[in-house]
Amino acid sequence: MCVRVLLVEDDERIRQALCLALSDEGFNVGEAGSGEEALPRLEAEPFDVVLVDLTLPGMDGLEVVRTLRERGDLPIIVVTARTDARDVIAGLEAGADDYVTKPFLAGVLAARVRALVRRRGPGREAVRVGALEIRPQEGVVHRAGERVHLTRTEFRLLLELAGAAGRIVTREQLLHKVWGYDYFGDTRLLDVHIRRLRRKIEVNPDDPELLLTVRGSGYRIRS
Amino acid sequence: MRLTLRRRVTLSFGFGLLVVTSVLAFATWNLATGSMLRQREASATRQAEVNARLVERSPDLGTLLTGPDSAILVLGPAGTRTAGRPVDPARLPAGVVEHPPATARTTVDGLPALVVTRPLADGAVYVELFGLQQLDRTSTSLSAVLIAGTAGSALLGAALGSWVSNRALRPLAELSSAAGRIAGGDLHARLPDQDDPELAALAAEFNSTAQALERRALRDARFASDVSHELRSPLTTMVNAGEVLRRRGDHLPGTAGTALELLTSEVDRFARLVADLLEISRADQTDDPAPEEIALDVLVRTVVATRAPVPLDLEHAVVPGDRRRLERVVTNLLDNAERHAGGAVLVSVRVLGSRVRLEVEDAGPGVPEPLREEVFERFARGAAAGPGSGLGLALVREHVHRLGGRVWVEDRSPRGARFVVELVLRSSDG
Repeated sequence: MCVRVLLVEDDERIRQALCLALSDEGFNVGEAGSGEEALPRLEAEPFDVVLVDLTLPGMDGLEVVRTLRERGDLPIIVVTARTDARDVIAGLEAGADDYVTKPFLAGVLAARVRALVRRRGPGREAVRVGALEIRPQEGVVHRAGERVHLTRTEFRLLLELAGAAGRIVTREQLLHKVWGYDYFGDTRLLDVHIRRLRRKIEVNPDDPELLLTVRGSGYRIRS
Repeated sequence: MRLTLRRRVTLSFGFGLLVVTSVLAFATWNLATGSMLRQREASATRQAEVNARLVERSPDLGTLLTGPDSAILVLGPAGTRTAGRPVDPARLPAGVVEHPPATARTTVDGLPALVVTRPLADGAVYVELFGLQQLDRTSTSLSAVLIAGTAGSALLGAALGSWVSNRALRPLAELSSAAGRIAGGDLHARLPDQDDPELAALAAEFNSTAQALERRALRDARFASDVSHELRSPLTTMVNAGEVLRRRGDHLPGTAGTALELLTSEVDRFARLVADLLEISRADQTDDPAPEEIALDVLVRTVVATRAPVPLDLEHAVVPGDRRRLERVVTNLLDNAERHAGGAVLVSVRVLGSRVRLEVEDAGPGVPEPLREEVFERFARGAAAGPGSGLGLALVREHVHRLGGRVWVEDRSPRGARFVVELVLRSSDG
């Protein structure tokens, strides 16, 4: 399968270099110089992953991420030159699945992309956690009979935790299994996703009953 | 040794008050005891006068006695008559007895007494002894009170001096503590507003200097950060174009291939340098999120698992802190050992009371004594020769300070260096 990636980046030289390098990694790369150019293309063409630079002329990168997230669960990786915690968290909160900071190697970016578009494992049984019913094959989650809309990353995160059946899953395990981080990753990535997931599956996200934090080690699902 | 200003003020207050009160006490004692003695003498003399006349008329001495300590002797040619306390006439002062009338103070059988003699009509001598114990006791207790008062006032003076000097020197102490904090790297340190106009000027001057220093430091940090930011975009292009070329390195044999290898490896180093520069300029500015509890042993194991294997000796220890910072500390120490000493030979985590030590040991050339502070400086000497950015250990120190700990390097026997990071354990553990 050839993964189709749309690169939204205003700096033409970076776009060219990344295009070459990502093609080397075996991706089919499309280019867009702005959010205004990218959004119609994403509606018209079937891309697997979109890479969005946060500093774009005109429509802001965060706005692009927000719009795309409203449309569906297309995996989004934010590319940023800003590493302040605020910018990274804003990007993740807006709905990005992952982020990379400049300067980065196309090889690293490629690993992130592959982790996001990984096909689901062989058919697994539906899992029940409290009022949640997770159907891995269909990729849907129901809470008390009602469908909960999760992005693919949120779904995979929930599935990893539910699969552990109440055992603790460490941060490193989650980062490795969900995002494909061989190297230890940034905690902000996981923190924001856990927060987002809680907002969708918990009755009271500030006082979680299902997705529990185990201080100093990781997370577990109350079974 | 020179005494501190505070101690000198305290001592002079104490000493001054001691001198003044002791002079006063001495004068008081002299006047009071002198006047008491004179009064006693006068009354004793009058008493003896009357008694001597009575003795001439009535031979009974017993009725004339004035108290248990007094004694009366009549020394005449016909013999000696006595009454009251038995006293040996020979022990009375000879001059007084032989030349009446006279008055003298003396000590008879260890007791102070006043001797008054009067000549009698028949040639005999009337001698009366008046006990002075009462008077002595009074003057003893008076002197005790005066001495205690003098000592007390000296202490009071010292206390007053200490209080006054503390009060007067407080702005100075605040100034020195604020200056110390600034020297130690806390550029937010300021002096509180002063009421005294003279001190207010000093405080205002100090604060504006400190503020200018802080602004300057921030501007420098921001400049480094801005420069690094600006470098990121071209670097992204360069590392990725380099990567594309490197993949095709086989098609570029000989000189061109070597040149390409040089170019791409330097671009990589450049990228690392910019990343470290950004991190260190950011470390100066951003505030940490709320500290989480981190199992240091697990973290070390996780970091080491991504690299060349290193022997571990880990005790379980939970520290409060920022995971990203701790990971950088461990990674940079391991990188440093790899670059300068052929890799770490032991990584250990040890609990020592309320503290925990993370130690990274290598068997390299070690760090000579004079360079042990310097290696933690940004772009320290020696780093330029290596493939690192020259910021690795500076970042370690920066992160460790932010985590509230200390870092230093020491000798390892038989050879090599030991980098030690000391952190505070989670409070419930220690």
